Amino acid sequence: MIEGVTVRQAGPDDAVAGVQPKWVALPESVEEIAAVMRACAERDLAVVPVGGGTKLHWGRRPDRCDVLLDLCCLNEVVEHAAGDLVVRVQAGATMEALAATLAAKGQELALDVPLEGATVGGTLATATAGPRSFRYGTPRDLLIGVTVVLADGTVARSGGKVVKNVAGYDLGKLFTGSYGTLGVIAEATFRLHPLPADRRWVSTSLPAAVIGDSSSELPLSPVPLLRALAASQAEPSAITLDWPDMQAPFTVCALVEGAAAAERAEELRAVLAEEGGRLGGGEWPTKPVAGAEAPDGWARLPGDELLIEIRTLATWADMVMTAVRDAAHVTELPAKARMWLADHLVTHVALPGDAGPAAVAAFVSSLRAAVDSGEPRATVRILAAPEEAARRVDRWGPVGGLSLMRRVKEQFDPGRRMSPGRFVGGI
Amino acid sequence: MDPELIKDCVHCGFCLPTCPTYVLWGEEMDSPRGRIHLMAQHVEGTPITPEMAGHFDACLGCMACVTACPSGVRYNRLIEQTRAVVEREHVRDPQERAVRGIVFGLFPYPRRLRLLRLPMRLSERMRPFLERVHPSLGAMAALAPKVERRQRLPRLVRARGPRRAVVGMLAGCVQREFFPQVNAATARVLALEGCDVVIPPSQGCCGALSVHSGREDQARRLAKRTIRTFERAGVSTVVVNAAGCGSSMKEYADLLAGEPGWAARAAALRVVDLAEWLAELGPAAKRHPLPLTVAYHDACHLAHAQGIRRQPRELLADIPGLSLREIPESEICCGSAGTYNIFQPEAARDLGDRKAAHVASVGADLLVSANPGCTMQIAAAMRRRDHPIRVAHTAEVLDASLRGVTL
Amino acid sequence: MTLAALTPRLRELLEPDAVITDPVRLRTYECDGLTYHRATPGVVVLPETAEQIAAIVRLCNEHGTPFVARGSGTGLSGGALPRTDGVLVVTSRMRRILEIDIPNRRAVVEPGVTNLAITEAVRAQGYYYAPDPSSQQVCSIGGNVAENSGGAHCLKYGFTVNHVQACEIVTPDGEIVRLDRVDAGYDLLGAFVGSEGTLGIATKITVRLSRTPESVITVLAAYDSIEEGGKAVSAIIGAGIVPAAIEMMDALAIEAAEAAVACRYPDNAGAVLIVELDGPRAEVDRQFAQLKEICSGAFELRVAADAIERAAIWRGRKSAFAAVGRISPAYIVQDGVVPRTSLPQVLASIDRLSAEHGIRVANVFHAGDGNLHPLVLFDDAEPGAGERAEIVSGAILDLCIEHGGSITGEHGVGVDKSRYMPKMFSDDDLDTMQLVRCAFDPRGLSNPGKVFPTPRLCGEVPGVRRGVHPLVEAGKAEQF
Repeated sequence: MIEGVTVRQAGPDDAVAGVQPKWVALPESVEEIAAVMRACAERDLAVVPVGGGTKLHWGRRPDRCDVLLDLCCLNEVVEHAAGDLVVRVQAGATMEALAATLAAKGQELALDVPLEGATVGGTLATATAGPRSFRYGTPRDLLIGVTVVLADGTVARSGGKVVKNVAGYDLGKLFTGSYGTLGVIAEATFRLHPLPADRRWVSTSLPAAVIGDSSSELPLSPVPLLRALAASQAEPSAITLDWPDMQAPFTVCALVEGAAAAERAEELRAVLAEEGGRLGGGEWPTKPVAGAEAPDGWARLPGDELLIEIRTLATWADMVMTAVRDAAHVTELPAKARMWLADHLVTHVALPGDAGPAAVAAFVSSLRAAVDSGEPRATVRILAAPEEAARRVDRWGPVGGLSLMRRVKEQFDPGRRMSPGRFVGGI
Repeated sequence: MDPELIKDCVHCGFCLPTCPTYVLWGEEMDSPRGRIHLMAQHVEGTPITPEMAGHFDACLGCMACVTACPSGVRYNRLIEQTRAVVEREHVRDPQERAVRGIVFGLFPYPRRLRLLRLPMRLSERMRPFLERVHPSLGAMAALAPKVERRQRLPRLVRARGPRRAVVGMLAGCVQREFFPQVNAATARVLALEGCDVVIPPSQGCCGALSVHSGREDQARRLAKRTIRTFERAGVSTVVVNAAGCGSSMKEYADLLAGEPGWAARAAALRVVDLAEWLAELGPAAKRHPLPLTVAYHDACHLAHAQGIRRQPRELLADIPGLSLREIPESEICCGSAGTYNIFQPEAARDLGDRKAAHVASVGADLLVSANPGCTMQIAAAMRRRDHPIRVAHTAEVLDASLRGVTL
Repeated sequence: MTLAALTPRLRELLEPDAVITDPVRLRTYECDGLTYHRATPGVVVLPETAEQIAAIVRLCNEHGTPFVARGSGTGLSGGALPRTDGVLVVTSRMRRILEIDIPNRRAVVEPGVTNLAITEAVRAQGYYYAPDPSSQQVCSIGGNVAENSGGAHCLKYGFTVNHVQACEIVTPDGEIVRLDRVDAGYDLLGAFVGSEGTLGIATKITVRLSRTPESVITVLAAYDSIEEGGKAVSAIIGAGIVPAAIEMMDALAIEAAEAAVACRYPDNAGAVLIVELDGPRAEVDRQFAQLKEICSGAFELRVAADAIERAAIWRGRKSAFAAVGRISPAYIVQDGVVPRTSLPQVLASIDRLSAEHGIRVANVFHAGDGNLHPLVLFDDAEPGAGERAEIVSGAILDLCIEHGGSITGEHGVGVDKSRYMPKMFSDDDLDTMQLVRCAFDPRGLSNPGKVFPTPRLCGEVPGVRRGVHPLVEAGKAEQF
């Protein structure tokens, strides 16, 4: 069908959020991606790019999907310039493979990978990150250059392979988190960090019972504890709150990385002991401990069949916890929550994949009603949900600047062939 | 306006945040960079327009920009040259001319100022009337300090203990008439620290106000008279306790550059600020404790024009029991700036209020300032916000400590 | 003509003293920190609210009048160069700090607030605003957002874009829109920051506040030559240390700084290296021990014992640009980037260029990230010197591109470097960037003529055209 590019018929396994494409294209170079895109443009075929497929069920079902553009064959680490702390890598490389290559030279891309098997391209397209964004930022903060292929086959680069660079618009930021709706991310260049010499996790469990019952305000709040950790001059890389069962205790954990990690972990343990003691009162399931092993499920999502993300100010942790528990109580859905602190407090709530549409709608509305305060903004969005379960809610919630986003989409993909309908406002 | 001096400006803008008028109004023409640009326009042939003159007049001459400038632009010279050009070429409106006439016919002449002392006691009651006549007159009245009894200083004050130096002392016009106690304290401190202090009774105005307002002829006349007076008194070092006077006297050689004979005589006379001199001399007399919290105000003509910041702070901090506090935004002018508070009453008032708010935030018992203009300006602003504060000169604080009396 | 119609409308919107039309006053706005390019603005406005800016921009749209935003006017690429046929929107009166929220580590400010003012407002509480361009005491946050400003410490802490959480902007068609990283959707904030005023005007900015590090150690190491200093830099990076800053100055730059601020750097140094470590005390102490080892080749090593000594070490570096005015009547500040490991070759090539053209070049650079600031010195009274300096300056940018670097690391493209963009990017790259412009500003009214060398008319299909647009060539369309 397309000169020199491997294309096969699609099967049921290739479905994108329930929509089965006709073909799967397997380009092996940036030029081949361009060839596929040109061919699809000529025939008005809709394209959805895919990497590891770990998040293919995220976002809304595409309005149409003719070609699945599988980037698995573009999986090379093109150039690791260790002396410059920079790597250029193709979009289809998995984050694990990239990490292995970098580790050989004592370096890393300082991004958590919430889902195993994710590729560089998929990580960028969905802007997934984890708790270490407290220190290192999210994918957009570490991306310094990008090569993209537009819907008409145009190959464009922005940025470069130097960390410091303000020449031209930063298309990398625009494409990061664009869910494949603007074009195909083909290659990326990242700034790197030295692998930390040492790592320590400090954690404590606290009784959720003291967070009051579902009918009242929180009598005690985890906020002072989270604040104290964030303000600590021991400089943690990550601060998390894990609450796998609304009826059971939750765990607060901080990660320290780099030189003198053990001493700094001791400082944080003292913070946990003091603030946690005040919060836990007489009842304190686990005293603070420090260890060199990551806790179970560290930096992973609490589940991903039906996944909700809440972003609020950092000091809203108690409000978010109450909101999640109230929503779980009202809908009788077993919710699991994980939070991490960065510029904002990011909370992921996992619900069972077979939850009914009415319950899901009730759960999300209840959350939105609880955290929506106008200004400063807080948002509740459904990252992943079966189409049926999410059919009664707006997955993304209100979005500032939506009309500008529509205009951007219109410019980049006037024919609406790139992952149409998957993103905010039906973009 | 020397084009070579103008060229030194690389337009980096580092002066902007230190400029009081830029801080107030946020417009380029009222910043040092903008004014230098206006000067360049004039040099290129644009005549002095009323707008241009207004922006030059609005400059307080605080010289904070000189401190901030990394390129070493001599803005002090530039603005002095510019003011002279404005005086020569720009025709002011009659009312403005009248006020300027009163001020320049008054301040440089201690005898005339003395005549003012009686009416000033009435000025508080006359203020509303004066304000109606002209805002500048109202501003003058509002500034008037409570005048201490006049003290006649002797021609010579002998050193206590072993004599370490012989110095002349400038009595100043405003200082002498409105703050006689400061001069008395200065003489006592110098004597207690081992200096013979020569105070020629024939001395007059040093010419500072005239220099800062572009009246160069008057300035040169007064400068020569001052040099002659101290030469006759037989001193080679003159101690000055008013920041504005000191900074101008240090530039006599520049002012008189056109007259080589006089320039050499100017260069031979060493002018030092009181704090600068005392720091250099080193303490000899015993300091008695003064349990006070003191906020030190940087007079622009001391900190920016003479670069004297460290010495007064050290002198104060060395007094046992005295706790020294820094005033936020200390580099920004209080709005006094010589005659500025009389010619530009509104801007001066805004700056005074800004300074007063910062001073109030410090929570001090006493404000120390080494310039009579600042003292009057800040005291007036503090009275306006119903937060009166005692103001003293560095000399008075030292005097109290050296003599073991309360302030 | 349109301006004459526009001005009375502006006066209806703004205070009388906020609309400047007097020609003498207007001229003081003719350039920013780059004086090489000058244009007297048609009219200057000094708005105080976002609503006023939105109204001004809508008026401009009504009249088809271009507008340019300006903060403190310290930019070094002519990004705020006015249009003689346009409105200059100056944000210097919008300088309120609207909110300081320490628990959430953020502050909300107006665009005219200076970079340093934020730090000063939160220092007592143990926080600071991390990006620190050398002009931080004067440059405005609005300008920082437009230029995506960096600074000496961006090696470890990143740039403006990494520290801005939200912006309220006035779009080029006069709408007030909030771009917030808390929202779902495209990262328009990421595209806006660094767009040099071509995508609208920021009117309210939410920035992240960073915790003041527990410990800071600043080291000044003097070397006989740039090469030796360069080796030390490689060794530091190789040891896995990420200092807060690594700065280098060569002998000529040291001479200038010495003349300007008497920074008292070691005599006869061929190069000085300033390395700053910051973070938790235990971590910094470990790294400092390593650093001393690495810098053992320096002929003098100074360690700042306190904040005053640290400031003394930095004073020479931070004043370096303006300071070269002391050793040269005229100069060009260049801003290029190369991969750090290419620094030795590139510096050697700059030396050759300098010798070849008889033009002195002083080098000041952020050695940690390969950001060069060669100061090309010349005497504007000498015939031909300016042209030769231009040639050297341009050749340095070519070197940067050859080595896979960038034509600007932090000063921006502005009007000064737009002609170099096609050397760094292909037509397709530039056309694709133009798509963003067309989405935000289809009429091309927001800071036209900056960043991009040639226009692509919005609405035209990208990827078809190559070279100059036919309408422009025919003189039927204006180049913006």
